[in-house]
Amino acid sequence: MRLRSTLLCPLFLALFTVGLAPGVYAADVTVFAAASLKEAMDDQAKQFEANTGNKVIVSYGASNALAKQIEAGAPADLFISADLDWMDYVEQRNLLAPGTRISLLRNTLVLIAPASSKSTLKIGPNFGLAAALGQEKLAMANPDSVPAGKYGKAALEKLGVWSGVEKQVARTETVRAALALVSRGEAPFGIVYSTDALADKGVRVVDTFPPDTYPPIVYPAAVIATGKSVAAKPLLDYLRSPSARPVWEKYGFGLAR
Amino acid sequence: MIEVDIDQQLGAFHLAVEFSAEAPIVGLFGRSGAGKSSVINAIAGIAEPARGRISINGMTLFDSKGGINVPPEDRRTGYVFQDALLFPHMDVRSNLLYGQRLRSPVDRSIEEARVVELLGLRELLQRKPNTLSGGEKQRVAIGRALLAQPRILLMDEPLAALDIPRKTEILDYVERLRDELSIPIVYVSHSVAEISRLADTVVVLSDGKCIAAGEVDEIMGRLDLRPATGRYEAGSLIETTVVAHDLDDQLTTLAFAGGELIVPHLDASIGERVRARIRARDVSLARQRPAEISILNVLPGFVTAMDDGVGPIVDVQLAVGRATLNARITRRSAQQLGIGVGQNVYALVKAVSFDQRSVGYA
Amino acid sequence: MLGLSPDEVGILALSLRVALISVLCSLPLAILVAYGLARSSFPGKTLVDAIVHLPLVLPPVVVGFALLVLFGKRGPIGSVLNEWFGIVLAFRWTGAALASALMGFPLMVRAIRLSFEAIDQRLEVAARTLGGSRSWVFASITLPLALPGVITGTLLSFARGLGEFGATITFVSNIPGETQTLPLAIYTFTQVPGGDAQALRLSIIAVVLSIVALATSEWLTRRSKRMQGDDRS
Repeated sequence: MRLRSTLLCPLFLALFTVGLAPGVYAADVTVFAAASLKEAMDDQAKQFEANTGNKVIVSYGASNALAKQIEAGAPADLFISADLDWMDYVEQRNLLAPGTRISLLRNTLVLIAPASSKSTLKIGPNFGLAAALGQEKLAMANPDSVPAGKYGKAALEKLGVWSGVEKQVARTETVRAALALVSRGEAPFGIVYSTDALADKGVRVVDTFPPDTYPPIVYPAAVIATGKSVAAKPLLDYLRSPSARPVWEKYGFGLAR
Repeated sequence: MIEVDIDQQLGAFHLAVEFSAEAPIVGLFGRSGAGKSSVINAIAGIAEPARGRISINGMTLFDSKGGINVPPEDRRTGYVFQDALLFPHMDVRSNLLYGQRLRSPVDRSIEEARVVELLGLRELLQRKPNTLSGGEKQRVAIGRALLAQPRILLMDEPLAALDIPRKTEILDYVERLRDELSIPIVYVSHSVAEISRLADTVVVLSDGKCIAAGEVDEIMGRLDLRPATGRYEAGSLIETTVVAHDLDDQLTTLAFAGGELIVPHLDASIGERVRARIRARDVSLARQRPAEISILNVLPGFVTAMDDGVGPIVDVQLAVGRATLNARITRRSAQQLGIGVGQNVYALVKAVSFDQRSVGYA
Repeated sequence: MLGLSPDEVGILALSLRVALISVLCSLPLAILVAYGLARSSFPGKTLVDAIVHLPLVLPPVVVGFALLVLFGKRGPIGSVLNEWFGIVLAFRWTGAALASALMGFPLMVRAIRLSFEAIDQRLEVAARTLGGSRSWVFASITLPLALPGVITGTLLSFARGLGEFGATITFVSNIPGETQTLPLAIYTFTQVPGGDAQALRLSIIAVVLSIVALATSEWLTRRSKRMQGDDRS
């Protein structure tokens, strides 16, 4: 009966795709990395695979979201956070492999606008951000939880501008989402890392935030204790090794010492 | 032998039926709503009575005291429904074999080939139920019930949904069943014509109670049952034998216990037994033998009963020889002719009024 | 294959696998629940009906959160599954399948239930008088007659599962190769500078898949209706 055979098709399809979809093997490393590391980590992953043959799978997200997922038992082998707080969070829950935590990278905070913008706004105490925004939005990662947002809020508070623009902040889930909003022209201004601005041709840096207006941006990295991968520590060692340095610098990251 | 004694509450309707009946076809007769379907549903096991006992040929199907309630799939009661209820997703053949496939191979005394031939189903086997006519569906339904190897066949107003030509067609088939397969049948109907033609024993239901049970001639002839059987169709049944055919005038002579009846040509051989139904409205009465009258059948007899209801019409029961006839005349005529119980009268039956379709062949 | 990059093929295969498994596993339960809702009356039936429909009306994120709480490694059900059977659902493709199954369940039950309700129950009675036990009648009469609804429900649930995002990303997060289904991949690409082209490609694939699923559902339903002798369509 033709109908019966038509109904058996999905069954075969299911079995077929079970085979197609790749599985995760023991020598593979799963990295949970802050969203701002996208291009750089992709590149590092390729290098590591080329050198060792071990596959690297990277799941990008806001550091706060990643930390909570790790806490809930997500299968991460390595965690690279965009600020110290969230690495502390994971460490306090005894989820880090002891002795593996290091400070890996540095970054700086910038104010961006769409590439077509002609803005000549200069950052300084009480600078005219609110006036420059008018009725429109300031794109930022969630200032309450996401590292890039926290840094941004700290800087704006230090400069005495925060209360004036707080209501106009378009809070995004990750710093990259904020970047995308500005890149698409949905928001006239945004606060992201200098490395993000470098990665997207659709935005231009209006000005850089003075380093004394926000806590130093440090990216800690560590091996997760519950991770099963044998290649996690080797990968971490690689990422802090001189061989990895050119890639970091290519994407604008500073190195933590 | 079918023994039924049940009590059941169906909404506001209370069923309390008790009867036992024998012989090939048991007619379950009564008006719509009298409870006929409820009784065979109980026999089939589809509905459970509150109390009572049902047994067929000694096998107990239900006994509330003994805690016996055989599930429908084990009762071996073949059920032919009013609207056939053929399975729409299967072709005719699969429908037919549905029940047979569930019986062990040993238990296949009623064979597919025989049923197909008996009911004329050969051309229909590959078709789907929704392409069949009403009569065809009903035949398949009968075949399906038969092939499930039933011990008894229950037919619930199987002709109700059919037009007159189909009714006749199926009636013929049911008679063939009775004759060739010797399976007892319980036949439910509110139609006097059908019951008269098919049943040997009749159980009359009214308002959820069994008010009479007995041989078909006797029951259908009784005046006191008229309220249950309905007035319009009143009549009497007589068993006759074909004695002669007149080929020139195309008439047939039938002999019965009250004499002879001349009717328009019947397609039956000499000596064949034929059960005929004569409607009361077609019987006139005369105190004297009439002369120069076109009516061929003038039968002497006497009045055995009269109904004493009100209204312009009166039903008169007659003994004609050893047979019973019913006549329906106006009250005025009855009074003017002085017709009363015990009175000698002549029953006049027009040959032309004789209903060919009411004839049942033995 | 079809001009897709290996990564895209991987994403597509993962999505299909997740959706198919979710549908195949929830089908038996859906049939059971639909039958119960269609045929029986029991205390609390309205409540059961409401619960079945919850994923349809709740924000998907809520469903995902509930899944995380219950089925996470430390959740009441998840810890049991992990310790006794070694089954982990959170952050695995199996969890994505569970999320898809849950979100599609109401659609499946509704369609199948309607189908059961449309069946003339006297046909089942007739089958029983012919010797069929209750379970045989269900398998040979009820289920085949309900087939159009089963097909519709399955394919609707499949299409819904393919597009499932909120519950998925909350429960199993966004791990490429493991839980990054089509919608999640599209979402990821919208946040990658210059990733719009990729997002668009994948979106087109998603649209095509949904259309195919819905069209197939229509076609199969009509075919099975015809096979049942129902020519009304």
